[in-house]
Amino acid sequence: MTTLSIDNVTLTFGGLNALSDVSMIIEPGLITSIIGPNGAGKTSILNCISGFYHPTAGEIRYGDRRLTHASPHQVTKLGIARAFQNLELFSGLSVLDNLMLARHTNLKYNFLQAMIYVGKASRLEAENRAYVEGVIDFMELEPYRNSTVGNLAYGIQKRVEVARALTLDPQLLLLDEPMAGMNIEEKEDVVRFIMDIIKERNTTIILVEHDLGVVMDISDYIHVLDFGEVIGSGTPEEVAANEKVIEAYIGED
Amino acid sequence: MSTNRWLATGNYFTSYQDEQRLFFTHLDRTILTMFLLLLFVWPLLFTLSNKYMLVIDNILIAVVAIIGLNIVTGFAGLISIGHAAFVGIGAYTVASFSRTLGDSHVIITHAWPLMIVLSGLTGAVFGAIVGLPAMRLKHLYLAIATLSFQMIFTWTINFLEFFNQGQTISISRVFWFTGKLGRKDHYLFWYYVLLVVVVLSGFMVRNLLRTRYGRCLSAVRDNDRAADAMGMHPGLTKVYAFGLAGFFAGVAGALHAYVYRGVGFESFTLHHSITYLAMAIVGGLGTLNGSFWGPAAIITLELQVETLAEHAGQILPSTWNLATALKPFSFGLVIVLFLMFEPRGIANWWRIVRSYTKLWPFRY
Repeated sequence: MTTLSIDNVTLTFGGLNALSDVSMIIEPGLITSIIGPNGAGKTSILNCISGFYHPTAGEIRYGDRRLTHASPHQVTKLGIARAFQNLELFSGLSVLDNLMLARHTNLKYNFLQAMIYVGKASRLEAENRAYVEGVIDFMELEPYRNSTVGNLAYGIQKRVEVARALTLDPQLLLLDEPMAGMNIEEKEDVVRFIMDIIKERNTTIILVEHDLGVVMDISDYIHVLDFGEVIGSGTPEEVAANEKVIEAYIGED
Repeated sequence: MSTNRWLATGNYFTSYQDEQRLFFTHLDRTILTMFLLLLFVWPLLFTLSNKYMLVIDNILIAVVAIIGLNIVTGFAGLISIGHAAFVGIGAYTVASFSRTLGDSHVIITHAWPLMIVLSGLTGAVFGAIVGLPAMRLKHLYLAIATLSFQMIFTWTINFLEFFNQGQTISISRVFWFTGKLGRKDHYLFWYYVLLVVVVLSGFMVRNLLRTRYGRCLSAVRDNDRAADAMGMHPGLTKVYAFGLAGFFAGVAGALHAYVYRGVGFESFTLHHSITYLAMAIVGGLGTLNGSFWGPAAIITLELQVETLAEHAGQILPSTWNLATALKPFSFGLVIVLFLMFEPRGIANWWRIVRSYTKLWPFRY
């Protein structure tokens, strides 16, 4: 199990500090949540980890690998997967194809074998298809297997997004607001999936979420961001008692 | 599969390898085999005049080119307005051999299958080079980059002495096992070669499309941010799409050079690029069978319009010059009509017909 450490990361967009001097350690096997008001820099942190942004200063390490300047596809190959906040699915393809795309790096046949499509290519496709089917089972997406993703309901698309990240077979899963815009039942479903992921796959999860009730219930550890700075870290109880956190969320007396 | 696959009314898979099949029922397979057989056999039964044989050859050449264009524009979603230039690259590969070694050198007349593959590879290399801007540019900006390649291509051909400044560079008739091809057999011979090439490329692309090499194309089309997160390099994937498209264009170009027994720049202008794009749109972007419908429809239309213009020219005063006006007019009209009423192209009609016959005689 690998630890993700973020050391003094600063991210600047032309004079505006999205993140300033953020440090946190993500322990393996736990659900770590990152919370904070709008614009606090939660998604920026995830973007830095998954390689879409590169920190202006500071360092991100995953085990002994530096992620600071890695591209998203390099980060993915290290076993870090991400579900996006605003749906970033392949909307013209079926659920099955979306998930098969997540097996892209596992399909190790060459161009010629793909062209002829007997033997290795066919076998690997079937094997990975079986893996994908496992994830479909896990995320209860069976009825939508062959539907075009763009035509599915929002809640289902969100679930496909998580399923696709899971299909990458990650050790570290970044979930960016998986419950945004959902009703209470759908939220309960997602929470159940997150608990299952932790229990059955032993995946480390970083959760960015606005629903404080959910976060307080399921997180092992919480980091609170405000204006790009960490204003509090700790177990849910510690964070709930933290003066600065209360101030950021509710305001001063 | 235990059920009788001749009488199968639905798809009953029992393994994932079953689901990979190209033909779900024996009937599907039989129909396609019969159709292909018919395409190979009909020239034995009756002969067409050279004029119409050339039209058919033209359609098949365009099919190969459109398979390539569909890969880059249909599947990978990168608009290419320079496809005729890639076809030209293939044709001029053969032509440059003709210029340096003479137009009836053994390499050209005997090793023509090699020349065709070589032209394809040259096309692929140029495709990949022209595709390099795709690593940074998107949408219309990329389209302009491909347009500029088209311009550079015509300009280069027109000004280089080596390429005869765009004038025709001749390529002699090829040899088959029976000896040198005669005037009469020429188009028929290339019809068979083209048919083999089309069938091979059709199956090749069909196979690619159900593997990671095909899926990655649709991935960068739909969402290249997410494609990046799936572990593929989106920029290189786009370059690969251009390379693959360039390969098919190059093959089409070499075939064009051999069928016409000459290469001149006027077959590879911007006008042709737009025509290719129109064929892809009319056939159906992002579908493999659209690559067959589009060229067939557009070239048949051109032929009909030509005959129509001839007849009309006899009735109407010659100063109206209908023949030159009617062709671009009908061409433009067809594209507009398709974009308005059937943006998914003829391939969509094919899909509707297929699903209808599946259920017939039941309505739902």
